[in-house]
Amino acid sequence: MGTALRNDASTIVPLRADAAPEVTKRVAIVDGALACIAAKGLRATTVDDVARASGMSRATLYRTIPGGRDAIIQATAETEVARFFSALAVAMGAATTLEAALVSGITTSARWISDSAALTTLLEVEPWVMLRHLSFGQMDRALTLAVDFTGPFFGRWLEPEQAARAADWAVRIVTSYLVNPSDDIDLTDTDHVSSLVRQFVLPGVEALQDRSTA
Amino acid sequence: MGQVLDTREQITAAGYACIARFGPTRTSVEDVAQAAGVSRATMYRYFPGGRNELIDAVVTWEYRRFFLALYEALRGAETLEEVMERGLMVAHRAIEDHEVLQMILTTEPEILEPALTAEGQPTRELVAEFLTPYLERHDLRPGVEVPAAADFLARMVLSYMGSPGRWDLDDPAQVAQLVEVELLSGIVPSPVAGR
Repeated sequence: MGTALRNDASTIVPLRADAAPEVTKRVAIVDGALACIAAKGLRATTVDDVARASGMSRATLYRTIPGGRDAIIQATAETEVARFFSALAVAMGAATTLEAALVSGITTSARWISDSAALTTLLEVEPWVMLRHLSFGQMDRALTLAVDFTGPFFGRWLEPEQAARAADWAVRIVTSYLVNPSDDIDLTDTDHVSSLVRQFVLPGVEALQDRSTA
Repeated sequence: MGQVLDTREQITAAGYACIARFGPTRTSVEDVAQAAGVSRATMYRYFPGGRNELIDAVVTWEYRRFFLALYEALRGAETLEEVMERGLMVAHRAIEDHEVLQMILTTEPEILEPALTAEGQPTRELVAEFLTPYLERHDLRPGVEVPAAADFLARMVLSYMGSPGRWDLDDPAQVAQLVEVELLSGIVPSPVAGR
């Protein structure tokens, strides 16, 4: 998780009594950037667009997130990853069985992605922005991040090593259907995901459990 | 290979040779025309989009060649377990040892985009089709339908071969565990049923 929320030391706003407005401005900028990306993609989004969309002057924008366009995009990506993991934690934390944790982890991820206007546009017009993080060595890094975060949720029913494997597997399923959608299986549909998990994933996880306790 | 290549393929093959030698960034349309022994005019007749179209064609060509070689390497496999295990190991090694791919991944990975997006679905269908007879010949757990199982396994094989994550795909024992214990447990009956 540390990596997802990592801030460049220079952009960390010190906590103080009047810190709240800075945080609010930061969120407004991130949401402005998301609106711009949703409207026209990442490449075409300029600092001026973000300033306009967040209702701020360029000067305020540069003061709140120093470092220009790259820093704004970075802050936006990090905020979205943090929001995504929060949504995932709420859903997976409420699960009372291993099957429910797998199903809610997968459906929540898929819904979060399909509900995000910015991600929907990116996948349509600039898929590489996402895809580059989901292939070859970059995917291994994404897997590590996602497994570190979701593993402990599965740890309520599984040994840490098995929990990490279950998490790794769930992340691959989400990624595969994101990059390569199916006509038959919709990962936002709980029934579809339940039958996928029950048929293909749980038996493998249970076999691992049997092995570790045998 | 001994067969006669048509002009487009000849240019594409020359493009691949240039990228392998100079890297994608320093490969120009002139280099490729010269290596293919064609004029610039011929070059643009086959690739009106110029350098970008040529590079896309080269990546797609090599991508297909990669899967064709994999297919040839696995044709002799007999069981579902064998084809999955060998497939993961051979494919992973081929990716790691593919010098041109590794160079592109460190220098200009974005040129892979067209192949990874446009070829994604046909590749998954190809892998699923390849696995289908192995599934049809194997005992399956009750309720398992071959097309759904083939699609799921194809997705997983494609995911693990490029990004093994927690697994060492050079270690046959680990690959056997990944395939037999994890990926196939829901699909084939347990070999130690009734334990």
